[in-house]
Amino acid sequence: MPQSPDLALAPRPAPSILATLARRNEVALLICLLALIIFFSLASSSFLTPRNLTNVLGQASLAMVAGVGVAIVVMSGEIDVSIGSLAGAVGIPLVTIMNMTESLPLGIAGALLLALVVGVVNGYLVAYLGINSLIATLGTMFIIRGGIYLYTGQRSIPDTAYLEEFFQLGNGRFFDFLPYPALISLIILAIFIYVMRMRPFGRQIYAVGGNPEVARLAGFDVRRVKFICLVISALLAGVAGILLSSRLGSAVHVAGLGFEFQVVAAVVLGGVSLAGGVGSLVGVALGVLILSFLSNGLGMLNLATEWQLVVTGGIIIAAVAFDEFKRRNQKQ
Amino acid sequence: MLDEARTGHAAAIDTSIPALEMVGIGKRFPGVLALENVDLRLEPGKVHALMGENGAGKSTLIKILAGVYEKDVGTIRIAGREVEIRTPRDALSQGIKVVFQEIALIPEFTVAENIFLEDYPTSGAGNIRWRKIRDDAAALFDRIGFKVNPDARTGDLPVSQQQMVEIARALASEARIVVMDEPTSSLTPTEVEMLFSVIRRLTSLGIAILYVSHKLDEIFEIADTVTVLRDGRHISTQPKTAHTSDTLIRDMIGRQIGDLFPRSRGAGTGDVVVGVSGLSTAKLADIAFEARAGEVLGVFGLMGAGRTELAKALVGYDPIRTGTITIGGSPLCPHDTRTAVSLGIGLLTEDRKTEGLMLELPVMHNMSLASLGRFANMSFLDEKRERSAVQEFVDRFRVKTPSLEQHIKNLSGGNQQKVLLARWLMRGLKVIVVDEPTRGIDVGAKSEIFALIDRLAAEGLAVIMMTSEMPELLGLSDRIMVMAEGRITATMGRDEATQEKILNAAIA
Amino acid sequence: MTETASSVAPPSRLRALTGNNEIVLIVILAVLCVLISIGAPQFYSVENVVAILRQCALVLIVASGMTMLLIAAEVDLSVGASLAFSGVVAMDVTNKTNSVLLGGLAGIAFGASVGLFNGLVVTRLRVNSLIATIATMMILQGGIYLYTREAVQNRHSIRLFTDLSTGYVGPVPVPVIIAALVFIACYVVLRHTMVGRYIYAVGANEKAARLSGLRSERLKLGVFVFTGMLVGLAGLLLASLMNTGQPTAGRGFELQVIAAVILGGTSLMGGRGTLIGTLLAVLVLKVIDNGIIILRWNQDLQMIVPGLVIIGATWLDLVRRKSDAR
Repeated sequence: MPQSPDLALAPRPAPSILATLARRNEVALLICLLALIIFFSLASSSFLTPRNLTNVLGQASLAMVAGVGVAIVVMSGEIDVSIGSLAGAVGIPLVTIMNMTESLPLGIAGALLLALVVGVVNGYLVAYLGINSLIATLGTMFIIRGGIYLYTGQRSIPDTAYLEEFFQLGNGRFFDFLPYPALISLIILAIFIYVMRMRPFGRQIYAVGGNPEVARLAGFDVRRVKFICLVISALLAGVAGILLSSRLGSAVHVAGLGFEFQVVAAVVLGGVSLAGGVGSLVGVALGVLILSFLSNGLGMLNLATEWQLVVTGGIIIAAVAFDEFKRRNQKQ
Repeated sequence: MLDEARTGHAAAIDTSIPALEMVGIGKRFPGVLALENVDLRLEPGKVHALMGENGAGKSTLIKILAGVYEKDVGTIRIAGREVEIRTPRDALSQGIKVVFQEIALIPEFTVAENIFLEDYPTSGAGNIRWRKIRDDAAALFDRIGFKVNPDARTGDLPVSQQQMVEIARALASEARIVVMDEPTSSLTPTEVEMLFSVIRRLTSLGIAILYVSHKLDEIFEIADTVTVLRDGRHISTQPKTAHTSDTLIRDMIGRQIGDLFPRSRGAGTGDVVVGVSGLSTAKLADIAFEARAGEVLGVFGLMGAGRTELAKALVGYDPIRTGTITIGGSPLCPHDTRTAVSLGIGLLTEDRKTEGLMLELPVMHNMSLASLGRFANMSFLDEKRERSAVQEFVDRFRVKTPSLEQHIKNLSGGNQQKVLLARWLMRGLKVIVVDEPTRGIDVGAKSEIFALIDRLAAEGLAVIMMTSEMPELLGLSDRIMVMAEGRITATMGRDEATQEKILNAAIA
Repeated sequence: MTETASSVAPPSRLRALTGNNEIVLIVILAVLCVLISIGAPQFYSVENVVAILRQCALVLIVASGMTMLLIAAEVDLSVGASLAFSGVVAMDVTNKTNSVLLGGLAGIAFGASVGLFNGLVVTRLRVNSLIATIATMMILQGGIYLYTREAVQNRHSIRLFTDLSTGYVGPVPVPVIIAALVFIACYVVLRHTMVGRYIYAVGANEKAARLSGLRSERLKLGVFVFTGMLVGLAGLLLASLMNTGQPTAGRGFELQVIAAVILGGTSLMGGRGTLIGTLLAVLVLKVIDNGIIILRWNQDLQMIVPGLVIIGATWLDLVRRKSDAR
């Protein structure tokens, strides 16, 4: 083989670990998160306590669970905005079945079955009929929310079975330390980090979102991948909904209103590109945590919840703008 | 390690049966008969060249083979067995691997992962074996002498290396038939050597190669048999030794090359209308040149040489680091296309679909976009005047369209290009920059575009033509400027230019 | 050679005004009207028709702007929050100055500045408009409670203020007239001016538009501000209608508007869409609402049916385009 004098062919020096780290979006997010934690622990003495920190994990768990699902859908190049309505809706079969059978597993099965049906419908509309995912899931969002109102007559369905397990699910703590919802969300997060990294299917999701044409040429079934992503997203929204209704102790007809916006914001803040193909679940988890710590910390400072909304909105814009700025600079 | 696997695999290949037979293949697109009754037969362990001009039907044929398009009629047999190929997955499972000219890699993934994209090695539990992917990729690169870090992010590599990654991928796959579509279009000469050694390795394993190109020297070096297509029809299939350059060109073009390049004007000797000095951008270094009214200045360079970047900088689209550009004596504000257009410079882009056309809009709106001011009174449009002006250009340029309301996406490439040219001429320019003006345009329309460019120069415009096609460079230009790695490496007059001189400067 | 172009008959007037998607909507609208009037003959009464038009007014005003925004390949999800906030501002300023003119201007100016903010974030900071305007929505939802904890009551009792929403000119309610004027103005701009052409061009292909010498960012900024102004105007009408500045008003309004625009055939990818389609879609959605009420159906169907209609209409459009391509 002739030795090449050509510069373009010279092996590139491996980038230094530091440079690689600095390029990673997760590191920037982690720094943001730590800065937030340091700031709040200086500002409020009750912030940096194990109790409060685990509390935040518990509060973050709903957005974490649903966020994993939405992130996967967005990575595959689509979007799912029906998750808020769905998270609210699964409480109805859950509580109704529990009230009838006094069985939590049956209730959960009913809730997940509803989520599965919605996921299959979303997936079919988007992947096989080819309807734009924002439109399709906006449509199902309306239909589900309307269905909730219709079924409940715009009232909550109280839990009359008073199952201890049901209460514990959303409010109990594992070894009296980590809230169960936090535990569940971390397990789900770990499973999907593993899937995205170690299973061929995870890689197919990135490929399909990054460049559907290339993915097709590589022999991937683009439609199937998108379909499954939307089903997963619905199932995870269902899990979030189950946790939510345990925390609320009933099926509340307005539960999950606006949840989709929160989750999409966290996902994008976590560095997942709306164009698809880019992002990591670690980033998403950090995005969720940043927003949760922010709202917890601002609450500790006795700032009105309204301020929390304002600050959160501002931070989302700043984070995405910064990310965009960084990307443009790298290109130059 | 891989070679062992491959030899075992190759042992299964029966060399007495054709690896691939395509018989009577036909394909029709709306308004175009792309392929008509085409036959092709590949032998195991041989390199079969497929030649033809742009629009001859080469890419349609290989896209049918790759499962991107479905054929309308005809049969495909692989190793003697009739098969149906409907999806890319069908093609892969039949052992057909296509290396496309457009890069088919996921930019976010590492080089090693892209090598194994089609078939991740997994453990018994179904987990991806990342270490094996990395090691096998490194070993593969070592063996073919390709120096690239397998852990590099693919999108960070230069285009030529990405192309090599694609080619290396063919080695890692279990393919019995490897199709390469213009594999050398962006490679350096060293890389071309590397490619040829990859091809020889593949053929020694009994793999059949379909090599698509229009570069004669490559064909004579690597091919065993040559099939020529023209206008979607099969023209000839002969052993390489039966051909000379002349017979190949005759088969491909089917007429005199002189007809393609009409020349209605003398050498351009007008005033200097474009002056560039000390121009540097992210991709360009120290560019300086002038262009005169009435001349065609050809700019040649291999892929990645900076042709398109220069074009974009000239019209104020890309930001400039240093240097000045003057159009008709007035300096151009950097990074502002609006003043560039108002000074009288416009760009006919290389990539019509993403940078030129508004696909969803009608022909009329596409054409009049840059000159709406002429038809407007206080921003209100006089559609009657606009329509008649557009109609005039449609007639003059012989744009084939059922109506001015037709969405431009339904027009053929050549007609789209005419509409885009008209967009600028309607506006009235001093300088037009054309970047690969005949890419994806069929032969007939090509000569019309050439005639139009020639006429523009005759009418006193300065034409700066970026191209990687040697015939159109030599056929149209008054002066030729060669670029390599973002710099100008040579400038020569029409009379002193030869293929060798130009290529030498382009590789420099 | 000229025969290829000139021999083709000019498209019919109707076809020129309406695309195929509009025809689908007209059919849907006609079918709806027939079906509803069978069940409830009072559907065609003057009062009911006027009521439907009045219902359309607010959505149509904002949807006109949103159509332009979507054609330019951007979107604004903050219109609901901004609607409520501008209503509050308009009522508050009118209370303080006793001038409907100043109050109205304040409401419109507030909406416009929200649009300006969105536009700057999208065009200068290059934040995706979906995310940027979700963030703006959050900021406004928080901000409105910081501005006022409870509804701002009407303390000025100026007749003109309430007339804005409840008055009539002849048989036609004032908000319908305002909506019609806004619609016509937008229609003319989009169809007959350079600005309209540029909006389509930028949405269809921003790179190509820039290379053709258009200043795409400035144009988009303008459309954001214009949409914001219309939101301010709608906020003023809403405050007048409810006779208070209600911080909780406008929840879900953004989805209603976007649903209408999308149903009207405007593409989320930009470059495609018409105001006629938006008008028809607003009518379809409001006729459905009205039908559910006068047929005495459960009002919660008012969410479900539009959801089905949006998905169904998009799918029909898709099927039609596929068969066109063949």
